[in-house]
Amino acid sequence: MADFQTIGQNHIRVDALDKVTGKAIYAGDVYLPGMLMCKLVVSTHSHARIVSIDTSAAEELPGVRAVITGKDYPDARFGSGALKDRRVMAVDEVFYIGEPIAAVAADDEITALEAVELIKVQYQGIDKVVDPLEAISTRSSDVHPDLEDFEGYGFALGGNNCTMLDADRGDVDQGFKDSDIIVEETYHTQPISQGFLEPMACVADVEANGRLDIYASTQGPYQVRSQLASVLDMAIGNIKVTAMEMGGGFGAKLRLAFEAFPALLAMKTGRPVKLVNTREEAFTLNGPRLETNIYLKTGVTKDGKIMAREARSIFDVGAYLGAGPNAGVGHGLGAYKIPNFKLRSYGVYTNKIYVGSYRASGVADMTFATESHTDVIAHKLGMDPFEFRLKNALSEGDTAVNGSTIPENGLMETMAALKERMGLPKKLTSTPKEARGIGISVGEWRSGSGPSTASISVNEDGTVSLLTGSVDISGSDTSLAQIAAEALGLRLDQVVVAKRNTDMAPFTGPSGGSRIVYSQGRAVQNAAEDAKSKLLDLAADRLGVPVEALECSGGSVYVQDNPPQSMDLGQLGRMSLSSRGGPIIGTSSLSSLPYAPVFNAQGAEVIVDKETGQVRVTRFVQAQDIGRAINPMGVEGQLEGGAVQGIGRALSEEILIHKETGEVRNPSLATYLMPLSVDMPEIENILIEIPSADGPFGARAVAESPGFGPPAAIANAIYDAVGVRVKTLPLSAERVLAAIQGNDDDEYTVDADELRAAEEP
Amino acid sequence: MKKQLQITVNGELRQALVEPFYSLLDTLRDEMHMTGTKKGCDEGDCGACTVLLNGKPVCSCLVLAHSAHDGEVTTIEGLAVGQDLHPVQKAFAEYGGLQCGYCTPGIILSAVGFLESGEEPTEENIKHALGGNLCRCTGYSKVIESVMVAVKATEKATG
Repeated sequence: MADFQTIGQNHIRVDALDKVTGKAIYAGDVYLPGMLMCKLVVSTHSHARIVSIDTSAAEELPGVRAVITGKDYPDARFGSGALKDRRVMAVDEVFYIGEPIAAVAADDEITALEAVELIKVQYQGIDKVVDPLEAISTRSSDVHPDLEDFEGYGFALGGNNCTMLDADRGDVDQGFKDSDIIVEETYHTQPISQGFLEPMACVADVEANGRLDIYASTQGPYQVRSQLASVLDMAIGNIKVTAMEMGGGFGAKLRLAFEAFPALLAMKTGRPVKLVNTREEAFTLNGPRLETNIYLKTGVTKDGKIMAREARSIFDVGAYLGAGPNAGVGHGLGAYKIPNFKLRSYGVYTNKIYVGSYRASGVADMTFATESHTDVIAHKLGMDPFEFRLKNALSEGDTAVNGSTIPENGLMETMAALKERMGLPKKLTSTPKEARGIGISVGEWRSGSGPSTASISVNEDGTVSLLTGSVDISGSDTSLAQIAAEALGLRLDQVVVAKRNTDMAPFTGPSGGSRIVYSQGRAVQNAAEDAKSKLLDLAADRLGVPVEALECSGGSVYVQDNPPQSMDLGQLGRMSLSSRGGPIIGTSSLSSLPYAPVFNAQGAEVIVDKETGQVRVTRFVQAQDIGRAINPMGVEGQLEGGAVQGIGRALSEEILIHKETGEVRNPSLATYLMPLSVDMPEIENILIEIPSADGPFGARAVAESPGFGPPAAIANAIYDAVGVRVKTLPLSAERVLAAIQGNDDDEYTVDADELRAAEEP
Repeated sequence: MKKQLQITVNGELRQALVEPFYSLLDTLRDEMHMTGTKKGCDEGDCGACTVLLNGKPVCSCLVLAHSAHDGEVTTIEGLAVGQDLHPVQKAFAEYGGLQCGYCTPGIILSAVGFLESGEEPTEENIKHALGGNLCRCTGYSKVIESVMVAVKATEKATG
């Protein structure tokens, strides 16, 4: 292993001291002089025409400074994905319970709430549809009859089918003919919340020259800026977005949320306006994930070679296509070589809150289905589930589902590490009351790419200032600083990470999809190399030696053969101010990096209480190929947090949706059951480092993958323990007990024919 | 009708004029602009707003401000002495006990409250003491580890 000075070592996060002392400022912590408080009026109907909105009483209430409705915005639609299907605030029609209809700005929160109560909305109900399988059938009413008029309609099939993605290879029919065993199943996953602890918040202010100044809780300040510009019909240059400290987003805060409400109210009143979500609104206003139904059909030979796969996935997207059903094709194969496949993924409108993104949207759902299915097939074949996976595992040179050639990767190493740590194959000992089982699962992701920029300036004392536009949601500022320090031969404390906004930092993509350390990190490394080359040029000129003779490390540039002949970075920084080239700035800009897969192999040991159906995870092991651990402590933290989110998804978390109205029935943290410290086993992490070709110092992505595997690993462990297969998430005690008692009349068991109705017309 | 109240916050006597239904949390944040204490749910479910009231950890969103009249409150801003961090703060920073940081003030105060309670600081007891604090980022492993480190550091310091 190369000899690194800064990376590969545990470092205290650059934001740690602010966070343990309460000094870190989140959007809700912004208090500006004269600030008004904003509250929202939301729809109480799942699908209705708005007959009238009477705001007069609210406007007359003392302390109310402005009231806005959808008609106060330019007549424009925007979209979170390819399809522009959404208005920023309802106009004439509402499509789900909770959709914003009006907003109030008042001197204080209590007055704003009183005003909200005074706004009278008259509705006229129209046909609605809540069940996505009904919505996709011909018998359903349409959520958006004008779907064809939406910009970006290209991928829609019509009706409530707002998008269809596909991938095909080989001859699927022949593949099934060549198979000895064909397994056909359906899986169902639940609506789920990202569960961020910080409810969304925003403060909007207007500068004297009319520019908007937005303090947001966002992963994507440049996305907020451009979407805000489009819904307010403003020039991008007239909006400044400052991404404040982020209290968890996990995908929910990637795009424009409700920043347009305080923004317009601030423009109307000329005063700063603050909007902070209640916890209830965190469930009912921000796109969560909705249910997914997944049909899988796989053919295998007797000796365990997968020949063909057909997959059809139906993603309920709610009232708007907040996030696409890409995972249905991108993750329809799992980590396996499958020569013939036909994958279809459908996004279906229903009258519910629209979906948002959550930690690689849909991949955890797909992985639950495919990795449970993999186990089912192995058992049908009488093969060990681990060996069956190994036999079909992707390797370098294979073609990924997206057509890319699989480069060098650590799939085999992660699987081998898991096998060794867990001692597979292994049979655990049960008691009559408590059955114990073990299950495994493999998740796959890619290192995220997209526009990335960085600049590094050398200060007069030899420290450097690092400027990037990316938001730190995962400890990435620390990793980026380490990358800069390593490339320049500095200590971490010699790198200053700038607090930034969209005015000062150049454009960068959002912090999502596990892209920051891989792509942004590459940009930082390139910018550091650029700065270094300028430092070497300047030093070569002053020392009268060729550039090739010089080395930059330990805070100075020196002649390799004669180290005492040197200049420290402070000297060079000061000299640069009057040099021909001027102050030293290294920059880098890139749009995408090559495909670098990430694999995570996980194993769970569980105890199933046979009398209650209660499942307890007693051990959880994961091995992930992270390419290069920049900050191992940070990597472990990401892996552990991701795995625990996956365990919550597996066992307890579910947004309960009213079957008639589509309303969220449990919008509180007392009823939406996220894991607690008392519930969790210690997570054992194994960091595999097979360097990627293009990531900084070989790093790959970290954060998405650990959340994929737990539901299938736990479902497979339950099967190992009690011999029942639960195909619906969450794997609640009720569901597991029903399965143990032989009652497989699961409310969500979906007939394969019903899913076939989703076939393109 | 707003009424005057006084609370000693981090050793300093503070006064505020607030409605009788105001929570201690809203008083700290909106009236005193002490924003280190976080609002995650305002319903007592998440623990992000935990402060010490007369030495005991409470969800400040569930405490009426006037019921804390004449009381002593410790918030996250009051734990460090100058630049010297409380052992729990130090351990959380050094052992990765935080990520996004939103739940961190509440967790640290729950931990401090527990350590000052005199209960035996076993891992099991610590897990239960933090059972009312949700964290979505860490998966809790490094949170528990951080508290254990603080326990050891405190034992060492006090011999």
